[in-house]
Amino acid sequence: MEFKDYYATLGVARTATDDEVRKAYRKLARKYHPDVSKEADAQVRMRDINEANDVLRDKEKRAAYDALADRVARGGYAAGDGSFQPPPGWDEGFEFHRGAGGGGPADHADFSEFFSSVFGNSARRSATKQNYRARGEDHHAAIEISVEDALHGVQRDITLRALETDAQGQPTFVNHTLTVKIPAGVHPGQFVRLTGRGMPGHGGEPAGDLYLEVRIAPHPLYRVDGSDLYMTLPVTPTEAALGAQVQVPTPSGGVVEVTVPPNARSGLKLRLKERGLPGKPPGHLYLLLDIALPPADTEAARKAYEQLAQAAASFHPRRHLGVQGA
Amino acid sequence: MSTTSSYTAVTVESVVAISQDHPIAARDLAHACGVDIAWVAQLVEVGIVEPPKPASPPDGWHFYSDDLQRALEARRLERDFGVGLDAAALILDLQHEVRRLKAALLAQRR
Repeated sequence: MEFKDYYATLGVARTATDDEVRKAYRKLARKYHPDVSKEADAQVRMRDINEANDVLRDKEKRAAYDALADRVARGGYAAGDGSFQPPPGWDEGFEFHRGAGGGGPADHADFSEFFSSVFGNSARRSATKQNYRARGEDHHAAIEISVEDALHGVQRDITLRALETDAQGQPTFVNHTLTVKIPAGVHPGQFVRLTGRGMPGHGGEPAGDLYLEVRIAPHPLYRVDGSDLYMTLPVTPTEAALGAQVQVPTPSGGVVEVTVPPNARSGLKLRLKERGLPGKPPGHLYLLLDIALPPADTEAARKAYEQLAQAAASFHPRRHLGVQGA
Repeated sequence: MSTTSSYTAVTVESVVAISQDHPIAARDLAHACGVDIAWVAQLVEVGIVEPPKPASPPDGWHFYSDDLQRALEARRLERDFGVGLDAAALILDLQHEVRRLKAALLAQRR
Protein backbone atom coordinates (compact mmCIF):
# COMPACT_ATOMS: atom_id res chain seq x y z
CA MET A 1 0.00 0.00 0.00
CA GLU A 2 1.35 3.42 -0.93
CA PHE A 3 0.94 6.58 1.07
CA LYS A 4 -1.37 8.86 -0.91
CA ASP A 5 -0.53 12.52 -1.25
CA TYR A 6 -4.01 13.96 -1.53
CA TYR A 7 -2.70 17.52 -1.90
CA ALA A 8 -0.64 16.49 -4.94
CA THR A 9 -3.65 14.67 -6.39
CA LEU A 10 -5.67 17.89 -6.34
CA GLY A 11 -2.63 20.02 -7.18
CA VAL A 12 -3.03 22.30 -4.14
CA ALA A 13 -0.64 23.36 -1.38
CA ARG A 14 -1.05 22.00 2.09
CA THR A 15 -2.01 25.46 3.20
CA ALA A 16 -4.86 25.58 0.66
CA THR A 17 -8.12 27.03 1.94
CA ASP A 18 -11.39 25.11 1.72
CA ASP A 19 -12.33 27.30 -1.21
CA GLU A 20 -9.09 26.49 -3.05
CA VAL A 21 -9.60 22.77 -2.46
CA ARG A 22 -13.18 23.02 -3.74
CA LYS A 23 -12.15 24.94 -6.85
CA ALA A 24 -9.29 22.53 -7.63
CA TYR A 25 -11.58 19.54 -7.20
CA ARG A 26 -14.29 20.93 -9.44
CA LYS A 27 -11.83 21.80 -12.18
CA LEU A 28 -10.25 18.34 -12.16
CA ALA A 29 -13.60 16.56 -11.83
CA ARG A 30 -14.73 18.29 -15.02
CA LYS A 31 -11.49 17.40 -16.80
CA TYR A 32 -11.59 13.72 -15.85
CA HIS A 33 -15.33 13.02 -15.69
CA PRO A 34 -15.63 9.73 -17.61
CA ASP A 35 -18.63 11.03 -19.59
CA VAL A 36 -16.71 13.90 -21.13
CA SER A 37 -13.00 13.19 -20.71
CA LYS A 38 -10.79 12.22 -23.64
CA GLU A 39 -7.99 11.13 -21.28
CA ALA A 40 -7.21 7.42 -21.39
CA ASP A 41 -6.92 7.07 -17.61
CA ALA A 42 -9.98 9.20 -16.82
CA GLN A 43 -11.68 6.57 -14.68
CA VAL A 44 -8.66 5.99 -12.43
CA ARG A 45 -7.91 9.70 -12.16
CA MET A 46 -11.53 10.42 -11.26
CA ARG A 47 -11.40 7.86 -8.48
CA ASP A 48 -8.23 9.41 -7.04
CA ILE A 49 -9.67 12.91 -7.30
CA ASN A 50 -12.89 11.87 -5.56
CA GLU A 51 -10.93 10.17 -2.84
CA ALA A 52 -8.68 13.18 -2.21
CA ASN A 53 -11.71 15.45 -2.18
CA ASP A 54 -13.55 13.22 0.28
CA VAL A 55 -10.72 13.64 2.78
CA LEU A 56 -9.63 17.23 2.20
CA ARG A 57 -13.08 18.81 2.11
CA ASP A 58 -13.93 17.31 5.52
CA LYS A 59 -12.30 19.34 8.32
CA GLU A 60 -11.91 16.41 10.69
CA LYS A 61 -10.63 13.96 8.10
CA ARG A 62 -8.23 16.57 6.75
CA ALA A 63 -6.84 17.35 10.22
CA ALA A 64 -6.33 13.64 10.87
CA TYR A 65 -4.73 13.15 7.46
CA ASP A 66 -2.36 16.08 8.06
CA ALA A 67 -1.36 14.63 11.43
CA LEU A 68 -0.76 11.27 9.81
CA ALA A 69 1.32 12.85 7.04
CA ASP A 70 3.46 14.61 9.67
CA ARG A 71 4.07 11.39 11.55
CA VAL A 72 4.90 9.59 8.35
CA ALA A 73 7.35 12.35 7.37
CA ARG A 74 9.06 12.10 10.78
CA GLY A 75 9.01 8.39 11.38
CA GLY A 76 8.66 6.75 8.01
CA TYR A 77 6.05 4.16 8.80
CA ALA A 78 7.07 1.67 6.19
CA ALA A 79 6.50 -2.04 6.07
CA GLY A 80 9.30 -4.48 5.16
CA ASP A 81 8.69 -4.00 1.46
CA GLY A 82 8.87 -0.23 1.76
CA SER A 83 5.13 0.28 1.41
CA PHE A 84 3.12 2.44 3.77
CA GLN A 85 1.37 1.14 6.90
CA PRO A 86 -0.62 3.52 9.11
CA PRO A 87 0.81 3.65 12.64
CA PRO A 88 -1.47 2.19 15.33
CA GLY A 89 -3.60 4.70 17.16
CA TRP A 90 -2.69 7.45 14.71
CA ASP A 91 -6.22 8.84 14.67
CA GLU A 92 -6.83 9.09 18.42
CA GLY A 93 -8.61 12.27 19.27
CA PHE A 94 -10.24 12.58 15.87
CA GLU A 95 -13.78 11.75 15.02
CA PHE A 96 -15.16 11.52 11.52
CA HIS A 97 -18.77 11.98 10.72
CA ARG A 98 -19.67 10.28 7.55
CA GLY A 99 -23.30 10.23 6.57
CA ALA A 100 -25.43 13.34 6.89
CA GLY A 101 -22.70 15.81 7.93
CA GLY A 102 -20.00 14.47 5.67
CA GLY A 103 -22.34 14.32 2.73
CA GLY A 104 -23.52 10.76 2.54
CA PRO A 105 -22.20 7.71 0.85
CA ALA A 106 -19.60 8.53 -1.73
CA ASP A 107 -18.24 5.69 -3.79
CA HIS A 108 -16.13 4.49 -0.92
CA ALA A 109 -16.28 1.02 -2.38
CA ASP A 110 -14.22 2.29 -5.31
CA PHE A 111 -11.63 4.03 -3.15
CA SER A 112 -8.09 2.81 -2.58
CA GLU A 113 -6.80 0.43 0.02
CA PHE A 114 -5.02 3.41 1.58
CA PHE A 115 -8.34 5.21 2.04
CA SER A 116 -10.16 2.22 3.53
CA SER A 117 -7.35 1.42 5.92
CA VAL A 118 -7.14 4.99 7.16
CA PHE A 119 -10.77 6.07 7.09
CA GLY A 120 -12.68 2.86 6.49
CA ASN A 121 -13.94 2.12 9.97
CA SER A 122 -13.88 5.61 11.41
CA ALA A 123 -17.64 5.93 11.59
CA ARG A 124 -17.87 2.71 13.52
CA ARG A 125 -15.15 3.68 15.99
CA SER A 126 -16.51 7.12 16.72
CA ALA A 127 -19.99 5.76 17.07
CA THR A 128 -19.02 3.49 19.94
CA LYS A 129 -18.09 6.54 21.99
CA GLN A 130 -21.54 7.99 21.77
CA ASN A 131 -24.79 6.91 23.24
CA TYR A 132 -27.29 7.19 20.42
CA ARG A 133 -29.50 5.01 18.29
CA ALA A 134 -29.19 4.86 14.55
CA ARG A 135 -29.47 2.33 11.78
CA GLY A 136 -26.07 1.45 10.30
CA GLU A 137 -24.90 3.18 7.15
CA ASP A 138 -25.53 1.50 3.82
CA HIS A 139 -22.59 0.37 1.74
CA HIS A 140 -22.33 0.74 -2.02
CA ALA A 141 -20.30 -1.32 -4.46
CA ALA A 142 -20.50 -2.45 -8.07
CA ILE A 143 -20.41 -5.93 -9.54
CA GLU A 144 -19.62 -6.75 -13.17
CA ILE A 145 -21.15 -9.85 -14.72
CA SER A 146 -21.37 -11.26 -18.25
CA VAL A 147 -24.44 -11.27 -20.49
CA GLU A 148 -24.64 -15.04 -19.95
CA ASP A 149 -24.64 -14.51 -16.16
CA ALA A 150 -27.43 -11.96 -16.51
CA LEU A 151 -29.44 -14.47 -18.57
CA HIS A 152 -29.03 -17.44 -16.29
CA GLY A 153 -28.15 -15.96 -12.89
CA VAL A 154 -24.77 -16.48 -11.28
CA GLN A 155 -23.11 -17.10 -7.95
CA ARG A 156 -20.19 -14.78 -7.23
CA ASP A 157 -17.83 -14.20 -4.33
CA ILE A 158 -17.21 -10.61 -3.36
CA THR A 159 -14.70 -9.49 -0.75
CA LEU A 160 -15.30 -6.50 1.49
CA ARG A 161 -12.32 -5.23 3.46
CA ALA A 162 -12.67 -3.55 6.83
CA LEU A 163 -10.22 -2.46 9.51
CA GLU A 164 -11.50 -3.77 12.84
CA THR A 165 -10.13 -4.05 16.35
CA ASP A 166 -9.38 -7.57 17.58
CA ALA A 167 -9.68 -8.95 21.13
CA GLN A 168 -6.25 -7.57 22.03
CA GLY A 169 -7.22 -4.13 20.84
CA GLN A 170 -4.99 -4.34 17.78
CA PRO A 171 -6.19 -3.10 14.41
CA THR A 172 -6.87 -6.02 12.11
CA PHE A 173 -7.89 -6.15 8.48
CA VAL A 174 -10.87 -8.43 8.13
CA ASN A 175 -11.83 -9.61 4.66
CA HIS A 176 -15.47 -10.57 4.58
CA THR A 177 -16.20 -12.85 1.66
CA LEU A 178 -19.84 -12.98 0.68
CA THR A 179 -21.13 -15.57 -1.74
CA VAL A 180 -23.82 -13.72 -3.60
CA LYS A 181 -26.45 -15.31 -5.80
CA ILE A 182 -27.33 -12.82 -8.51
CA PRO A 183 -30.76 -13.73 -9.89
CA ALA A 184 -31.38 -14.25 -13.61
CA GLY A 185 -32.66 -11.23 -15.50
CA VAL A 186 -30.71 -8.42 -13.84
CA HIS A 187 -29.84 -5.57 -16.19
CA PRO A 188 -27.18 -2.85 -16.21
CA GLY A 189 -27.81 -0.16 -13.62
CA GLN A 190 -30.06 -2.39 -11.55
CA PHE A 191 -29.23 -2.64 -7.86
CA VAL A 192 -29.26 -5.79 -5.81
CA ARG A 193 -29.72 -5.36 -2.10
CA LEU A 194 -28.16 -7.43 0.65
CA THR A 195 -30.11 -6.61 3.76
CA GLY A 196 -28.02 -6.12 6.90
CA ARG A 197 -24.64 -6.27 5.10
CA GLY A 198 -23.82 -2.59 5.58
CA MET A 199 -22.37 -0.96 8.70
CA PRO A 200 -23.59 -2.25 12.10
CA GLY A 201 -26.40 -0.28 13.76
CA HIS A 202 -25.99 1.71 16.97
CA GLY A 203 -28.02 1.37 20.17
CA GLY A 204 -29.80 -1.80 19.07
CA GLU A 205 -30.82 -0.46 15.66
CA PRO A 206 -30.42 -2.76 12.64
CA ALA A 207 -27.35 -2.80 10.41
CA GLY A 208 -27.36 -0.96 7.10
CA ASP A 209 -27.69 -2.70 3.75
CA LEU A 210 -25.20 -3.37 0.99
CA TYR A 211 -26.25 -2.23 -2.48
CA LEU A 212 -24.47 -3.74 -5.47
CA GLU A 213 -24.90 -1.93 -8.77
CA VAL A 214 -24.92 -4.38 -11.66
CA ARG A 215 -22.60 -3.68 -14.59
CA ILE A 216 -22.48 -5.90 -17.65
CA ALA A 217 -19.16 -6.61 -19.33
CA PRO A 218 -18.88 -5.93 -23.08
CA HIS A 219 -19.90 -8.97 -25.15
CA PRO A 220 -18.60 -9.91 -28.62
CA LEU A 221 -22.12 -10.49 -29.99
CA TYR A 222 -24.62 -8.63 -27.86
CA ARG A 223 -25.10 -5.05 -26.77
CA VAL A 224 -27.32 -4.59 -23.76
CA ASP A 225 -29.81 -1.74 -23.43
CA GLY A 226 -31.90 -2.16 -20.28
CA SER A 227 -33.46 -5.59 -20.63
CA ASP A 228 -33.12 -5.61 -24.43
CA LEU A 229 -30.28 -7.21 -26.36
CA TYR A 230 -29.04 -6.04 -29.76
CA MET A 231 -27.17 -8.25 -32.23
CA THR A 232 -25.89 -7.60 -35.74
CA LEU A 233 -27.24 -10.16 -38.23
CA PRO A 234 -25.18 -10.44 -41.43
CA VAL A 235 -27.18 -11.35 -44.56
CA THR A 236 -26.20 -11.69 -48.21
CA PRO A 237 -27.47 -9.17 -50.80
CA THR A 238 -29.60 -11.98 -52.24
CA GLU A 239 -31.21 -12.71 -48.87
CA ALA A 240 -31.84 -9.02 -48.30
CA ALA A 241 -33.25 -8.43 -51.79
CA LEU A 242 -35.40 -11.50 -52.19
CA GLY A 243 -36.23 -12.22 -48.56
CA ALA A 244 -35.14 -15.37 -46.78
CA GLN A 245 -35.53 -17.64 -43.81
CA VAL A 246 -32.28 -17.55 -41.82
CA GLN A 247 -31.24 -19.39 -38.70
CA VAL A 248 -30.27 -17.28 -35.72
CA PRO A 249 -28.77 -18.47 -32.42
CA THR A 250 -30.58 -17.07 -29.37
CA PRO A 251 -28.75 -15.85 -26.26
CA SER A 252 -30.41 -18.44 -24.06
CA GLY A 253 -29.27 -21.28 -26.32
CA GLY A 254 -31.09 -22.88 -29.22
CA VAL A 255 -31.71 -21.60 -32.71
CA VAL A 256 -34.73 -19.86 -34.18
CA GLU A 257 -35.69 -19.30 -37.79
CA VAL A 258 -36.15 -15.66 -38.69
CA THR A 259 -37.89 -14.24 -41.76
CA VAL A 260 -35.94 -11.53 -43.54
CA PRO A 261 -38.50 -9.56 -45.55
CA PRO A 262 -37.89 -8.89 -49.28
CA ASN A 263 -36.13 -5.61 -50.13
CA ALA A 264 -34.68 -5.38 -46.65
CA ARG A 265 -32.14 -2.59 -46.20
CA SER A 266 -29.01 -2.53 -44.09
CA GLY A 267 -29.78 -1.44 -40.53
CA LEU A 268 -33.31 -2.85 -40.60
CA LYS A 269 -34.31 -3.85 -37.08
CA LEU A 270 -36.07 -7.17 -36.53
CA ARG A 271 -37.53 -7.89 -33.11
CA LEU A 272 -37.61 -11.31 -31.50
CA LYS A 273 -40.19 -10.79 -28.80
CA GLU A 274 -39.13 -11.63 -25.24
CA ARG A 275 -35.84 -13.20 -26.33
CA GLY A 276 -33.78 -10.63 -24.41
CA LEU A 277 -32.97 -10.71 -20.70
CA PRO A 278 -35.64 -12.45 -18.62
CA GLY A 279 -37.70 -10.42 -16.16
CA LYS A 280 -41.04 -8.76 -15.70
CA PRO A 281 -41.53 -7.79 -18.45
CA PRO A 282 -38.85 -9.76 -20.36
CA GLY A 283 -36.64 -7.84 -22.76
CA HIS A 284 -36.54 -8.36 -26.53
CA LEU A 285 -33.75 -9.44 -28.85
CA TYR A 286 -33.23 -6.99 -31.71
CA LEU A 287 -31.44 -8.10 -34.86
CA LEU A 288 -29.79 -5.34 -36.87
CA LEU A 289 -29.43 -6.35 -40.50
CA ASP A 290 -25.98 -5.92 -42.01
CA ILE A 291 -25.69 -6.68 -45.72
CA ALA A 292 -22.40 -8.48 -46.34
CA LEU A 293 -21.17 -8.33 -49.95
CA PRO A 294 -19.69 -11.50 -51.44
CA PRO A 295 -16.21 -10.60 -52.73
CA ALA A 296 -15.83 -10.23 -56.53
CA ASP A 297 -12.73 -12.37 -56.56
CA THR A 298 -13.66 -14.95 -59.20
CA GLU A 299 -14.62 -14.59 -62.80
CA ALA A 300 -18.06 -16.03 -62.03
CA ALA A 301 -18.69 -13.58 -59.19
CA ARG A 302 -17.55 -10.61 -61.31
CA LYS A 303 -19.84 -11.71 -64.09
CA ALA A 304 -22.76 -12.03 -61.70
CA TYR A 305 -22.20 -8.45 -60.44
CA GLU A 306 -22.04 -7.19 -64.02
CA GLN A 307 -25.29 -8.98 -64.86
CA LEU A 308 -26.87 -7.45 -61.76
CA ALA A 309 -25.75 -3.98 -62.87
CA GLN A 310 -27.33 -4.50 -66.28
CA ALA A 311 -30.55 -5.87 -64.79
CA ALA A 312 -30.80 -2.92 -62.39
CA ALA A 313 -29.64 -0.25 -64.82
CA SER A 314 -32.27 2.20 -63.61
CA PHE A 315 -31.06 1.96 -60.02
CA HIS A 316 -29.09 5.10 -59.06
CA PRO A 317 -28.08 5.16 -55.40
CA ARG A 318 -26.63 8.70 -55.74
CA ARG A 319 -29.66 10.28 -57.41
CA HIS A 320 -30.48 12.32 -54.29
CA LEU A 321 -26.99 13.91 -54.55
CA GLY A 322 -27.94 15.41 -57.88
CA VAL A 323 -25.57 13.19 -59.88
CA GLN A 324 -26.23 10.06 -61.87
CA GLY A 325 -24.16 7.23 -63.25
CA ALA A 326 -20.45 6.84 -62.75
CA MET B 1 2.85 -2.20 12.68
CA SER B 2 1.04 -5.18 14.11
CA THR B 3 -1.89 -5.08 11.72
CA THR B 4 -2.82 -8.58 10.62
CA SER B 5 -5.37 -9.94 8.23
CA SER B 6 -8.10 -12.48 8.75
CA TYR B 7 -10.87 -13.82 6.61
CA THR B 8 -14.46 -14.65 7.23
CA ALA B 9 -16.64 -16.30 4.65
CA VAL B 10 -20.39 -15.90 4.64
CA THR B 11 -22.81 -17.49 2.25
CA VAL B 12 -25.68 -15.29 1.26
CA GLU B 13 -28.43 -17.54 0.06
CA SER B 14 -30.15 -14.95 -2.03
CA VAL B 15 -30.23 -11.26 -2.70
CA VAL B 16 -33.08 -9.05 -3.73
CA ALA B 17 -32.84 -7.30 -7.09
CA ILE B 18 -34.65 -3.98 -6.86
CA SER B 19 -37.44 -4.34 -9.41
CA GLN B 20 -41.20 -4.05 -9.94
CA ASP B 21 -41.65 -6.93 -7.50
CA HIS B 22 -39.14 -5.57 -4.99
CA PRO B 23 -39.12 -1.77 -4.96
CA ILE B 24 -37.53 0.24 -2.14
CA ALA B 25 -39.41 2.56 0.19
CA ALA B 26 -38.76 6.30 0.38
CA ARG B 27 -37.05 5.96 3.77
CA ASP B 28 -34.70 3.31 2.32
CA LEU B 29 -33.87 5.52 -0.65
CA ALA B 30 -33.12 8.35 1.79
CA HIS B 31 -30.97 6.10 3.98
CA ALA B 32 -29.02 4.78 0.98
CA CYS B 33 -28.18 8.41 0.09
CA GLY B 34 -27.34 9.35 3.70
CA VAL B 35 -30.13 11.93 3.90
CA ASP B 36 -33.62 12.23 5.35
CA ILE B 37 -36.96 11.66 3.70
CA ALA B 38 -37.59 15.40 3.23
CA TRP B 39 -34.73 15.43 0.70
CA VAL B 40 -36.43 12.63 -1.24
CA ALA B 41 -39.58 14.75 -1.30
CA GLN B 42 -37.51 17.54 -2.90
CA LEU B 43 -36.24 15.11 -5.54
CA VAL B 44 -39.82 14.16 -6.35
CA GLU B 45 -40.80 17.81 -6.57
CA VAL B 46 -38.13 18.60 -9.18
CA GLY B 47 -38.72 15.30 -10.99
CA ILE B 48 -35.35 13.62 -10.41
CA VAL B 49 -37.16 10.55 -9.12
CA GLU B 50 -40.73 9.62 -9.87
CA PRO B 51 -42.74 7.43 -7.53
CA PRO B 52 -45.82 5.86 -9.15
CA LYS B 53 -48.16 7.85 -6.86
CA PRO B 54 -46.46 11.19 -6.15
CA ALA B 55 -49.63 12.63 -4.63
CA SER B 56 -49.67 10.10 -1.78
CA PRO B 57 -47.66 10.76 1.43
CA PRO B 58 -43.89 10.01 1.17
CA ASP B 59 -44.23 6.97 3.45
CA GLY B 60 -46.29 5.31 0.72
CA TRP B 61 -43.84 5.97 -2.10
CA HIS B 62 -41.74 3.27 -3.64
CA PHE B 63 -38.83 3.44 -6.05
CA TYR B 64 -36.78 1.36 -8.49
CA SER B 65 -33.10 1.02 -9.45
CA ASP B 66 -33.17 3.97 -11.88
CA ASP B 67 -34.45 6.19 -9.08
CA LEU B 68 -31.72 5.03 -6.70
CA GLN B 69 -29.04 5.65 -9.32
CA ARG B 70 -30.34 9.15 -10.05
CA ALA B 71 -30.76 9.98 -6.35
CA LEU B 72 -27.18 8.92 -5.54
CA GLU B 73 -25.85 10.94 -8.46
CA ALA B 74 -27.93 13.98 -7.50
CA ARG B 75 -26.56 13.77 -3.95
CA ARG B 76 -23.02 13.65 -5.30
CA LEU B 77 -23.58 16.66 -7.57
CA GLU B 78 -25.18 18.62 -4.76
CA ARG B 79 -22.36 17.80 -2.35
CA ASP B 80 -19.33 18.08 -4.66
CA PHE B 81 -20.43 20.91 -6.93
CA GLY B 82 -22.91 22.72 -4.74
CA VAL B 83 -25.56 22.64 -7.48
CA GLY B 84 -29.24 23.12 -6.78
CA LEU B 85 -31.56 20.22 -7.44
CA ASP B 86 -33.07 21.86 -10.53
CA ALA B 87 -29.60 22.06 -12.11
CA ALA B 88 -28.83 18.52 -10.93
CA ALA B 89 -31.99 17.33 -12.72
CA LEU B 90 -30.82 18.94 -15.97
CA ILE B 91 -27.28 17.52 -15.58
CA LEU B 92 -28.70 14.03 -14.99
CA ASP B 93 -30.88 14.28 -18.10
CA LEU B 94 -27.92 15.44 -20.21
CA GLN B 95 -25.70 12.72 -18.75
CA HIS B 96 -28.31 10.11 -19.62
CA GLU B 97 -28.52 11.44 -23.17
CA VAL B 98 -24.71 11.45 -23.59
CA ARG B 99 -24.52 7.83 -22.45
CA ARG B 100 -27.39 6.80 -24.73
CA LEU B 101 -25.80 8.47 -27.75
CA LYS B 102 -22.37 7.02 -26.98
CA ALA B 103 -23.87 3.52 -26.75
CA ALA B 104 -25.68 4.02 -30.07
CA LEU B 105 -22.47 5.30 -31.70
CA LEU B 106 -20.54 2.33 -30.41
CA ALA B 107 -23.19 -0.04 -31.75
CA GLN B 108 -22.99 1.57 -35.21
CA ARG B 109 -19.20 1.21 -35.35
CA ARG B 110 -19.27 -2.50 -34.62
